[in-house]
Order: sequence, then C-alpha cells, then structure tokens
Amino acid sequence: MCSRRSDARVSATRPGAGLLPALFFAALLAGCAAQPDLAGVRPAPELSATPFHPQERYQCGPAALLTVLEHSGAEASLDALVEQVYLPGARGSLQVELLAATRRAGRVPYVLPGTLAALAAEVAAGRPVLVMQNLGVRLIPRWHYAVVIAVDPAGGRVVLRSGTERRRVTPLGLFARTWARSGNWAFVALGPGELPATLERERYYDALAGVEESGRPALALPGWQAALTQWPGDAVAQFGLGNARLALGDWRAAEHAYRELLAARPALAPARNNLALALLEQGRLAVAEAEAQQALADADPGSALAAEISDTLARIRAAREAQSSRSGSPSSTSR
Amino acid sequence: MTVALRRFVFHLVSLSLLGLGFAQASFGGTIDTRSLMALEAGDAARERVLELLDREDVASRLAELGVEPTLVQARVAAMSDAEIAAFGERLDAGMAGGDAIAVIGVVFLVLLILELVGVTNVFTKI
Repeated sequence: MCSRRSDARVSATRPGAGLLPALFFAALLAGCAAQPDLAGVRPAPELSATPFHPQERYQCGPAALLTVLEHSGAEASLDALVEQVYLPGARGSLQVELLAATRRAGRVPYVLPGTLAALAAEVAAGRPVLVMQNLGVRLIPRWHYAVVIAVDPAGGRVVLRSGTERRRVTPLGLFARTWARSGNWAFVALGPGELPATLERERYYDALAGVEESGRPALALPGWQAALTQWPGDAVAQFGLGNARLALGDWRAAEHAYRELLAARPALAPARNNLALALLEQGRLAVAEAEAQQALADADPGSALAAEISDTLARIRAAREAQSSRSGSPSSTSR
Repeated sequence: MTVALRRFVFHLVSLSLLGLGFAQASFGGTIDTRSLMALEAGDAARERVLELLDREDVASRLAELGVEPTLVQARVAAMSDAEIAAFGERLDAGMAGGDAIAVIGVVFLVLLILELVGVTNVFTKI
C-alpha cells in the first residue's frame, strides 16, 4: 500500500514535495549509511518509452502496475486495476494482489532476486521493474510502489516512474535503503513464454505454478515450453506442460507429455496419476485403470500422494462400472 | 542458543503440520505442478541430510553419543518427504550465513538429526 498515514501521503503527492522526505532520510540515515552493494550491477540505460501514469492520491499500486503491464503490451486500464488491487480502507494495494492482477492481465509475474544486480539486469533487458519501497522508517512505514526505468551504477543513481513524477532521479544508496525496507521486493511482468534476464529455475517455476493455480493454463503452457528449451527434459517443466494441456482439455497432447516424462522417470507417481486422468477423459478406461494402479504401487503407502491416486483409481472404476452397466459388457471403447 | 532452540521447536511443530495435505488439484483429481516441485525439493533435502551424516565431525559426535551412523541413515531413508523438507528448511535457515556447522554448531546439528530420526525425544513434548 502507498501509505497508512494520510498526512505523509498528502504532502508527498504535492509536486516538489519529494525533497522533504529525502532530507529527512539524509538526516536520519547519515549515521548508518552503508554503500549499496554494486557487485555485478551493470548500467541499464533509461527505458524512456515506458508509459507514465501519475498516481491519484494513494493509488501508486494500480498506477505502477499499469505502467509495467502496458509496457509489456498487455491490455489494461487504470479503472479496472484500481478495482482489482486497490483497498480503499488501507489506502493502498497488497503485493499479492499486484501479482494476481498481473496474471489476470495475461502476464506472468516473476518476483526477482532481491539484488540491485538483478534489478539492473532486467532493466537492461528492456523490462521496467515494479519495486516496493518503504519511504518512511521501519516503525512508521510509508509504503510505496514505483517503477525502475534506469540504473546508473557509475553515476550512483536510479530513475523511477514514481507517484506524480515522470522521472524521479534517486541516489542509488537512498534507493537501496528504501527498497531494502520493503524486503527488496520487485517483480517484472513477462509475456507468454517470455524468459526473464535473471532466470532462476525455482523462481520461474514458482511463477508458472502460480499462473497454473490461478486457472490460466493457456498462459502457463508457453512458459513451460520455454523452460524446456532452457532445461531440456526437466521433470517439473514437462509435468507442468502436461498439466497445462490437461487443464485446456487437450487430452491427447497431455497424455503425450506425461508419457514422455514417464519414459525418463518411470516411477514418478504424480505423472502416472495425471496420465491416468488424461486417459480417463479420452474414455480409455482399461488403460487408465492400469496406469492408476501402477501409480499407486509407485507411491509411498499411506502418503497424501497415495490417497490422491486412490481417488483417481476410484473415479476410473466408477466410470468403468457406469459404462459396463450401460452397455452390458465391460469394454474399453474409445469415445 | 536459546533463539536457535526456540526456532528448532517451531520447526518441529511446523514439521508435524506439514504432512496434513497434498495440494488440492486444479482440475478434477490432477496433481498440480507445485506438488511435484515439493516432492523434488524433498528428494534434494534428503540427499543433503545424508551428506551431513557423512561429515566426519558429525559422525564422530554421533559415535561419542553411542549412536550408530548407519542406524541414523536408515531412519533418514525412512522419513517422509514432508519431514525431510522441513529439515531442509531448517538447514537453509541455518546456512543463510554460511556453513551450517559454523552457524548452528555441530552439537546442535547432531541433536537435530537425532531428534528428527526419532532417536531422542527431547524437544517434541511441548
């Protein structure tokens, strides 16, 4: 959220008022000013084509989000985003809601490693970075969202789209401290199948799993495909690909993805469970039952996974019984 | 040590809560991708625990306490993924500042291993 303190917020939204908090920090932090860690921070020239949406009062969240979404080519409007992420009672927006709204706009929110080097790498790759800052102090926080559009390690400064300022130039050290007080929270909005400059396997998979859980398999699918170009044969990415196809109702393609994975990892019970479901949806009930039984045999007895597979098996058996009572003969016909 | 101990107890509690449920399926009965990520993380954590047992300082301390390292290894192998994952998180927290042994101490680490594999029962009665 931008702020919980209306007095601080009001003064900060007046043009030119940014100097006061800056002086306040300078006085407050002069005693403990550590130099920011510039290791690996490369210069990132200004992304001057980044859109600018001056925020109205507390709405730095929707405004910053619209800025990165528009830059990534997503369709979005300030009104819609305000509705999605703005909490009038708190006069601000929550981080998780910014991530959720990014998914709703058809973009993958990738939370960056919390280093200046990572931030600069993304800006250098042409992606403005949405950052959370605490412009106050720990005890009296004044939360703020802004968008980094340039990092200049030699000149010791960053350029932000921030509040009502189109180009807010902030000393790197000051920025690093306000950013650190938010836990170095930052993310970029990736298009379908786009890989970040700061690609890390766990982070990227976490981002795609979030997209999957939000019920957007069409957005997750190209992401898993991109991951497989980066890490060919990776089990999680291959599994994710199968799950996205399954959720899209592309049963045969899902079956293919799971079979490919199982050829390399025959004892991977979750993949075999989902394969059984892909077969069930195709009406191939006898094979589906055999796969589910094998999956159950491969899972740890008594585990939560085994319980899930038992449910799958029960569903398949129920479908077979329904089929045989309809046709009078237990067969495994294809639809 | 008291802070470390408190954290340790906290992790033991979260360990017992972890096994509660597999992530809910996103599409009727599908096991979701995050569940597989958790399983894989469990495997990696298990390897790391076994590597720790191979360390000479850990092994010798266990021997001093009269515990057969092979016995502990067998118990680690028998632990559930969730239990191992919880231990892995504990290790990650300990290693944030460097080497686990240096940060949390070999005695504590040995106690943690003994506790987790059920040889001792010092901390669980809370």
